[in-house]
Amino acid sequence: MSVEFWIGVGVIAGIYAIFVLGLQINVGFTGLLNLGQAGFMSIGAYAMGMLVVDAGWSLWAAMPVAIAIAVTAGLLVGLPSLRLRADYFAIATIAFAEIVRYTFQNAGFAGGNQGIIGYDAEWRALAAWLLHQLAHLGLGGITQLPLFLAVWFCFGLCLMVLRLLAASPWGRVLRAIREDEDAAAALGKNVLVFKLQSLAIAAALAAIAGFFLALNVTYLYPSEFDPTFTFLGYAVLVLGGYASYGGVALGAVLLWSLMEGLRFLHLPISDGQQGSLRFVLIGLALILLSMLRPQGLLGRKAEMRLRR
Amino acid sequence: MTEGGRRGGDAPSLAPQAWRRLSPALWLAIALVLIALGLAVVVGPVAAGQATLNGLVGAGYFALGAVGLTLVYGVLRLVNFAHGDMLTVGMYIAIAIMALGISFWPAAVLAMILTALIAMLLDRIMWEPMRRAQTSTLQLFLVATGLALVLRYSVQFFAGSQVRTVGLDTISSVDLGPWHLGRLQLVVMLVGLVTIVLAGIALRYTRLGKEMRAVADNIALAEVTGIDTRRTIRVTWLVSGAMAALAGILYAASIGSINPNFGFTILLSLFAAAVLGGIGNAYGALAGGIVIGLSQEWATLFFNPRWKPAIGFAILILTLLVMPRGIFGRKKARS
Amino acid sequence: MIRGILASTALAAGLAIASVSASADTVNLTIGKLLEVTGPLSETGPSQDKAVKLAVEYANEQAKKAGVAIQAKDVGADVQGDPQAAVSAARSLVDQGASCLIGPAITPESIAIANGVTIQKRVTIWPVGTSMRLRTIKDEGTIFRTVPPDSLQALALVNAAIDKLGTANGKLASVIYRNEPYGEGLAKDFSAAWTAKGGKVQGPTVFDPAQATFDSEAGQAVANNPDAYIIIDYPDTYAKLGAALVRTGKFDPTKALVADALAFSTVPSNIPPQAIEGMRGTRGGTPTGTDAYKIFDALWQKAGGVEHFSLDANSFDSATLCFLAAAAAKSSSPAAVTDHVRAVTTKGAPKFYLTTLADALKAVDSGQKIDYIGVAGAFEFADNDDPTVSLFDIFEYQKGKLVVLKQIDATK
Repeated sequence: MSVEFWIGVGVIAGIYAIFVLGLQINVGFTGLLNLGQAGFMSIGAYAMGMLVVDAGWSLWAAMPVAIAIAVTAGLLVGLPSLRLRADYFAIATIAFAEIVRYTFQNAGFAGGNQGIIGYDAEWRALAAWLLHQLAHLGLGGITQLPLFLAVWFCFGLCLMVLRLLAASPWGRVLRAIREDEDAAAALGKNVLVFKLQSLAIAAALAAIAGFFLALNVTYLYPSEFDPTFTFLGYAVLVLGGYASYGGVALGAVLLWSLMEGLRFLHLPISDGQQGSLRFVLIGLALILLSMLRPQGLLGRKAEMRLRR
Repeated sequence: MTEGGRRGGDAPSLAPQAWRRLSPALWLAIALVLIALGLAVVVGPVAAGQATLNGLVGAGYFALGAVGLTLVYGVLRLVNFAHGDMLTVGMYIAIAIMALGISFWPAAVLAMILTALIAMLLDRIMWEPMRRAQTSTLQLFLVATGLALVLRYSVQFFAGSQVRTVGLDTISSVDLGPWHLGRLQLVVMLVGLVTIVLAGIALRYTRLGKEMRAVADNIALAEVTGIDTRRTIRVTWLVSGAMAALAGILYAASIGSINPNFGFTILLSLFAAAVLGGIGNAYGALAGGIVIGLSQEWATLFFNPRWKPAIGFAILILTLLVMPRGIFGRKKARS
Repeated sequence: MIRGILASTALAAGLAIASVSASADTVNLTIGKLLEVTGPLSETGPSQDKAVKLAVEYANEQAKKAGVAIQAKDVGADVQGDPQAAVSAARSLVDQGASCLIGPAITPESIAIANGVTIQKRVTIWPVGTSMRLRTIKDEGTIFRTVPPDSLQALALVNAAIDKLGTANGKLASVIYRNEPYGEGLAKDFSAAWTAKGGKVQGPTVFDPAQATFDSEAGQAVANNPDAYIIIDYPDTYAKLGAALVRTGKFDPTKALVADALAFSTVPSNIPPQAIEGMRGTRGGTPTGTDAYKIFDALWQKAGGVEHFSLDANSFDSATLCFLAAAAAKSSSPAAVTDHVRAVTTKGAPKFYLTTLADALKAVDSGQKIDYIGVAGAFEFADNDDPTVSLFDIFEYQKGKLVVLKQIDATK
């Protein structure tokens, strides 16, 4: 259980933390059950990958454009589907995410089953430089450290922005929509526009998470963006706390420490059974948490309204 | 239901409401037949006919799998993300029973009973407490997702992830002129059709069925009129579990090669069928299954089969955007 | 008498020192298994697990017999079919002291692991993926493959097809593959090579493994009465596809050719015999008459449990090679093992097989270079650590058993 391993876990936790910030603004602050977040993430990541590898762009230029593309996708998905009731919206978004995944797997332009590699050269150069600087502090041996620092720094920035938004009048309208949409509409607020904005922000955050995932894995492959990613994201959300942005970080770190830490648990059962057990435990944790402490660790019960 | 109007002159033999209920099915059937004929002109009757037959086979799987899902949603407003894994549970229980030496059909019946009981038990310990606490959609979704994981990976824990087979004859086929159909596939289609029609009839004419529809309409009102809603809900879960098991077992038998992931991978197609047909309606599951099954196989006449799964999802999205009530649905779908 | 006591004391002390130094010298090797336990490829997990376990058990036994001081144990981690999880899995195994990682199943996972963990730590990985894309990264000698790459296997398939049909010119080959990296890569290479020789390609018909029915796909594959079928698939999906092909009434398995993922000594019970009887295929070749396959199969059947699956012999070989390399290095440190893999697969050195594994261990223990020929083929790794031996078996399934018809050199 080396330091390197736990820093690696920290990177994954950070990626999920940014991803779940997007879910949180949808679920915790607008009352939208967005199950397609992995779809937005893959659009952002693939857009970046294709711009760098196929069109020869610089990584740093590709990222903002990829975010814009993901946001556009969010708007295009949201426009027709946000008027559906909550559970139908959820199904529509998951169908969207799966269509995106199948498209990237089968259409030639995205590399198909062979995926995309080779987009991270500029990041590697930056990471090498960062590592060199860290060596002055005696930390030069942990190769994952630059990415770890980058992910959590980015999370911190996003967190600050979201907190500011939540405290603003815009944020208050969002919460009003979450609690009673009809009342908010009656007060003259264009509910659809606010919901679209919430979805767009979530898509942007998903894209950023996607970049870090792409850099961590160095390979873009469709199965990285399957529904399991979104479901685990929801597990983070539930654990960390409903309507708590800070809770997202806590939830991510706890869940992933548990998930990855379980790899080292050696019970007298086969490796196959160990793998299955891991997921049984995650499922049980989801059930128990949702039933017994739905507001999570840092959420407040008062924030949870009955929304059907 | 009031009997149809006698407004002077010849009275129509069917009540007006019945006409309205009949016409979506009629319109659907007419549309499908027209498309099939059109395809026969474009690609030739042999290819079109075979694709149609293949589509009806697929429809059998989707429809049977979707019935339990749609009933639970109709009565309980619960989107049961764990339903696909109930198919898996039913399938593996059947295989385990067969490993004890019991032959296929008795094992299937036993597995259906056991799965139904498991479904009811899960309601007792999970869904009912949450209903009483009036939990939100998000919580229900999370619990269902967690349950799906627990079911699937528990099966895998005991049975392993390697492929298993029921060992029935997947090779023999029935020839209908230039077209062919697997014998077991035909069984699946027939059993699926019969089961759903029986379910529809039971919902319509039995007391239990009427109670289920009453609870689906308005649970508070149903309570007030003296219906034992708890019993009704329990029956709903029993039926849903049994149907799921039947779907899973027939799937395993006719496809010949299964592993624990199967239920989850088919889940979204089951949703597509249920939503398209009008969620909450047994005949809707049949109609939805037929449309999804046919669309997927007809699409292979023009597109590479690798896109088949995407067709189902695309239809789901289109349905939600254009016709969210589905073919037979009556529920409010907009927020 | 005092001399006697002194002598026996000296003898006892000598023995004690010898035994202490012997146990202190025993190399304790940990072999990591990158298994697909959950996720879309989870059907492959149990057989890979069993293959590596069997290899470790057998090698330990032979080492004891040979008196060579090395013992191994295996430890596994779930790759989940996802490159991100694969990197974590690899890291957890390296943390537990693994010197070699057997697996993973697909090239995206292999590249992710190489870039993330193993190149830096000089741990060897032994992927089962066959794409040439794996060789586009600089692996610093840490990625070895006991499976022949797509480029070679495609040529072998072409050869096998020409062997059956007499010529490629004007012949229609219907290509069908399962929608994942292995199938796509091999099918593409085959189609290019076949059309270059004047053949025609129908399709490719690509099927999604999770579908409920494969009848439309089978119908497309058998259309136009092709001269040959090229089927790139795995046993779990072939059970379904094969049944659908037979039901079309137009499929003739004797016209079909498959690749190494559908090669096993005994056909698994869920594949209908009518779908596979008389079917031919290619797999990496091992010099005939070595009985290595017989022993491997005997070990497999004796252990009970899961049936044969794709490429399990290759994983078995990878684990054995790792063991031999550690024995040659007399150390279990990953870097030492990495540096000695070529010493046990040196072209021109004395050849050893599974049947002579004990002798092989003795030879490397005494510092000799050897050429170990595995169950699934000879390796003699090239500079890029892919097998150079282009020997392929052309086999046929007869009464449910694999029979090697002939051996060819794919590059000729």
